[in-house]
Amino acid sequence: MTETQPQTDIDLDPVTFEVLRSSFTNLVDRMAQQIRRTCYSFVIYNRDFSNCLNDAEGNTVMQGSKDIAVHVGTLHYTCKETLEYFEGDINPGDVYIVNDPYLGGTHINDVRIMRPVFYEGELIAVTQSNGHWADVGGPAPGSFNIEANDHFAEGMRIPPLKIWDAGEFRDDVANLLTTNMRLSEDRMGDLRAQTEATRIAEERLLELVEKYGVDTVMTAFDESKDYVERIMREQLSDLPDGTWHTRDYIDADPNKEEGFVTIDVEMTIDGDEVHYDLSGSDEYVGNFLNSTFGTSFSAVVSGTKMFFPDVPLNSGLYRVVSADLPEGTVVNAPEPVPVTGSVAGAYEKVMNAIFELWSEVLPERAMACAFNLEYLLAGGQDQRPGRDGQEFAWYDWMAGGWGGRDGKDGSNATAPVFGAGLAVQSLEGQERDTPLVTSEHSIVTDSAGPGEFRGGCGLRKGGRMLACENSVMSYCSDRARSITWGINGGLPGIPHGVTLTRDGESQDMGTVFSNVPIDEGDEFVRPSSGGGGFGDPLERDPEAVLEDVKDDYVSVERAERDYGVVIEEIDPDVCAYEIDPEATDEQRAFIRANREDWLREDPDAITERYHEGELDKLDLIRRYGVILDWSSGELLERTTAEFRELLRERAASEWTPVE
Amino acid sequence: MRRAGIDIGGTFTDVILFDEETGDVEIEKTPSTPANPADGVINGLTKSDTEIGDLEFFSHGSTVGTNALIERELPRIGLITTEGFRDVHEIRDGTKEDLWDAYEDVADPYVQRRDRLEVAERIDYAGNVVEPLDEETVREVVRIFEKRGIDTIAVSLINAYVNGEHEQRVEEIVAAEYPAAFVCTSHEILPEMFEHERTSTTVINAALVPVVRDYLTDLEAKLDERGYDGDVLAMHSGGGVMTTEAIAYYAARIANSGPTAGAIASQYIADQCGFENAIGFDMGGTSADVSLTHQGDIEMTDEWAVEYGYPIMFPSTDIETIGAGGGSIAWIDDGGSLRVGPNSQGADPGPACYLRGGDKPTTTDANVVLGWVDPDRFLGGDMNATAEPARKVIQRDIADPLGLELTEAASAIEQIAVANMCNAVRLVSTSKGFDPRDFALVAFGGAGPLHAAHVAREMNVPQVIIPPYPGINSALGCLLVDVEHDLSQTFIADAAADIVDDIETAFADMEAEIRERLDEEGIDESEMQMDHEIKMRYTGQWRSLEVGCSRPLESMETIRERFHRQHEQTYAYSDEGQPVEVYGLHVTGRGVVEKPSFPEIDSGKADTARRTTRDAYFEAAGEFIDTAVYERASLGAGATLEGPAIVEQMDSTVVVPPNATAEVDETGTIILTV
Repeated sequence: MTETQPQTDIDLDPVTFEVLRSSFTNLVDRMAQQIRRTCYSFVIYNRDFSNCLNDAEGNTVMQGSKDIAVHVGTLHYTCKETLEYFEGDINPGDVYIVNDPYLGGTHINDVRIMRPVFYEGELIAVTQSNGHWADVGGPAPGSFNIEANDHFAEGMRIPPLKIWDAGEFRDDVANLLTTNMRLSEDRMGDLRAQTEATRIAEERLLELVEKYGVDTVMTAFDESKDYVERIMREQLSDLPDGTWHTRDYIDADPNKEEGFVTIDVEMTIDGDEVHYDLSGSDEYVGNFLNSTFGTSFSAVVSGTKMFFPDVPLNSGLYRVVSADLPEGTVVNAPEPVPVTGSVAGAYEKVMNAIFELWSEVLPERAMACAFNLEYLLAGGQDQRPGRDGQEFAWYDWMAGGWGGRDGKDGSNATAPVFGAGLAVQSLEGQERDTPLVTSEHSIVTDSAGPGEFRGGCGLRKGGRMLACENSVMSYCSDRARSITWGINGGLPGIPHGVTLTRDGESQDMGTVFSNVPIDEGDEFVRPSSGGGGFGDPLERDPEAVLEDVKDDYVSVERAERDYGVVIEEIDPDVCAYEIDPEATDEQRAFIRANREDWLREDPDAITERYHEGELDKLDLIRRYGVILDWSSGELLERTTAEFRELLRERAASEWTPVE
Repeated sequence: MRRAGIDIGGTFTDVILFDEETGDVEIEKTPSTPANPADGVINGLTKSDTEIGDLEFFSHGSTVGTNALIERELPRIGLITTEGFRDVHEIRDGTKEDLWDAYEDVADPYVQRRDRLEVAERIDYAGNVVEPLDEETVREVVRIFEKRGIDTIAVSLINAYVNGEHEQRVEEIVAAEYPAAFVCTSHEILPEMFEHERTSTTVINAALVPVVRDYLTDLEAKLDERGYDGDVLAMHSGGGVMTTEAIAYYAARIANSGPTAGAIASQYIADQCGFENAIGFDMGGTSADVSLTHQGDIEMTDEWAVEYGYPIMFPSTDIETIGAGGGSIAWIDDGGSLRVGPNSQGADPGPACYLRGGDKPTTTDANVVLGWVDPDRFLGGDMNATAEPARKVIQRDIADPLGLELTEAASAIEQIAVANMCNAVRLVSTSKGFDPRDFALVAFGGAGPLHAAHVAREMNVPQVIIPPYPGINSALGCLLVDVEHDLSQTFIADAAADIVDDIETAFADMEAEIRERLDEEGIDESEMQMDHEIKMRYTGQWRSLEVGCSRPLESMETIRERFHRQHEQTYAYSDEGQPVEVYGLHVTGRGVVEKPSFPEIDSGKADTARRTTRDAYFEAAGEFIDTAVYERASLGAGATLEGPAIVEQMDSTVVVPPNATAEVDETGTIILTV
């Protein structure tokens, strides 16, 4: 589309550029405001959305400043694919809809609405709004079907489609789509809210074109991308060249024997560019935790961006950051492999691995692993008085702990790194809409990975079902085995997973299950992990441990076992506790002398001691590096060997050797 | 009748005194006394020619509450919650403000975890008691708080907004066991759904009570000693005043007091000049506050926070604050782009031209280079300032790296600063469906009148209004308000159902409570005015709109109709086929207070106020122009100035760019047509 190329002789002075650049930001942020105020999906309302301005080739000129991380680096792919698909038939008044994960998208819930913007008959831009719809059809409420073997069993996949054709609303098409989704009217509402957001952006863009001239605005499009490219190149060229390597892990592949699924990331800084090679990653797995190219590229960009918080987001960045994501691996699953749970699977593994790599390059921004994204879905018929069996969908996600940092504890109870703006929902609101009563929403004592700077604390949320019928529960998470790890000597958090109690019997359900029948009186609870620790926990200031004990972030017992700090309770009424300095020195010396050996002790013997009640779960994980199948209590030998390796690399190798 | 309007700001306490008989206006500015805010007020009043004992009306705005929250200079407080939920206050909604910076955290909770204690009880969404209150656990918690010496206690139990019984009982037990303690319950402070928002508001309110009560008591005593026997009124964030008794309980309501007073003054001045739509633009040294008045009503928000993550759910004027002030720093980022702000040199060290050690180029320095402000006349010449350092830092930090001439660089700084201000104006106007062409811009604060004309041009706002005393606008706002209370409650129902009677009953109850409060404040029944709003949304939507209505309600049909129209206006679409639901009710009760009217000034020609000329640079002209400089105080009514022109006064400078005209009206207000 050379005809829309800006003239090179346009003089874009610094003032006009800065004004236009901030106008583009204002324009996309205004779209965000609009859809948040008018959407129907609570998932969108709680900020699982993004908006952008694309140029006529589909490149991203500006993305919203409060957009969710997981969409970063994917919107331009969708736009390019759509423009290509309709090439020759793109007209003023068109509006397109796409959710195809294999066309640069993320998962089918992310529905993208695009509007081509014309000026004097020529395509000059596309405005795009992407929102996570609460349901896009398929067998499971919320369209998360863990049993799917391919996308056909997940929900409605929408290739590029005209929903408005040259100004005509295609009622039949919209109807076909929404009829196949739960709460069709709400979906129509989301469609309208997003469409209106793209229209408002078009209006504002045309105002800018009227005022500054089309050539100036087009030049500013290019200059905006160049500007981001320049900033990023500038910052990278100040850093040493080199190659860094690490691995992170998904718990397991259900089609294989126990053992981690590896995501292998090699990062190379070469002059003013950074390249990621993920070709050492395992092949795709037998459930929906795989990700597509788009999602993985998003993880690469978002992971990197966390170390360059001031760099704006647009296609200029993608000229400097590149990635090898070979097809057939868990980070680039081909069609029709299911990918709906990618965000809890491959996505955050790539992101956290990248955090770790950058933590070495930019230690002043170092951060250990954050808790894993998790969401619990319960759906069925509400049989409370007056509800008459009306459909309900309880779709709940939690905050958790972020990793410990260099000089600073991790942040407690924070939204997932997948989207730090994703708000947790009010339980009072949930209790009105669904037949369940929340029993607890609280910080979990000892959930934070110990470290000189501990991780942030994780949470626990539980509930009890009220009168309901034909109801099922599904869960999507990870890191019950590949537990949220520390760096620079820091230790892990706690395992994820749901515990379901019915008729007095409790069962560990693990991190991935779907369509488990539930009924009135059933109780469930699940934790989110704290962040991994940063630095050797034996180096933590005992006073800091004491403060944590006063707030019950850390128990007296774990203060001793994890930190070697012996604390005596004086009077909890007035938060009076005291450190025993001699006992602390002794305990720290004892741990220091033995901890490397503990990681080599016979796992069977350790498992035995756990079953006898001599050791608890946290001893297993943090002291001995032993991982069990938490529901059966069976030792996972291969996983344990891999987890111990992880602990040796990230923790033990960083501990000061015993003299 | 002599009236005093006071604004206790962070740096200065401003006083405006108005004598209704003579029409005389007196203005004082005196340093604030944060250790004891009442002292600054007394100092300001004492400086004036009016005796405190001769005052008949005293109304003030204050940043005491805001500053205590910002600085976290709050008492240690305890929080009582339902078992299993003591961390709601810390979990918040989990979001970060700074999404991409892992080292920027949300502020700590106001109550430490150790001081959040639980009691066994549970109420369900419908208000049924699922688990009775275990009074023993309450006594235990109270015993612990007393032992810790914590005497300010917030209570926020799950679903207390539908049934406050348990909270009430907790309050009674505290009163019986620990009478010295102050208790604040969530169902009384904010009977609305959403546990975090309600808890946050309750906690902040509890924490501010001791802070605000102490200074108000002191202020009242000091005024009383000096013979003032009227009410000591205080501006609340919602734009009315309350008596000290009410404020001492609903302390969080004055957290946004100062900027609200500014917004009210803008509305008033615009109204005096015949505009019912106005954008208030208050720019000082570090930031700019932008508010909006539409058809005479100031835009409000019901969600507001001093620190991200901890909302105060009381109605507040909707004010957009951006880091654009006279002290905002100009810099070049890694991409080579020129930026202005959000970091600021503030008042200390301030711009380079202040000669207080500031070594970074600021917006004020750019204005000095452009000849817009005369450093010799800062604060009426009270300050030692000069142009040379301004030139030096702009040349060094901006002009040289960008390869620009000094003047070009200064002009670029000014233009980018204006672009930032425009984005704030867009957020309150175009982003909400208001067309700036229908508005006037009311410019005040020390720096507002300097940039207003350019902001107005950029935004297609046709006229700019500059009040006679731009530096004390917030104090003026305090003279212009009614005694006001508001109540809100969650009320969820299908808007198509026959719920007129239910709403009527709920409104009647709320009104009765407000009338009682107004009555306690000595407002005569005939002076009470009630406004009613119904919060509505399309069923399935997450946000609601407030639809105004009057009692008795006609029918749900007309109310639904009004909702569709309002949705259309705010969000550019509506759909009458969609079901609508009622979400909440809101009543505002006003005790109307008589307002001052300002005296007319003598008329006069512009020439008599002309003091000198100097070279000033305007981007539109592309060159320095010999520009007339006027003395504001000498400008008479009816005077007309053609741009370019500069009008100087003690605390501000008005820039009239080329091709703009300025007219002085009967009260001395300047109206620019840009």
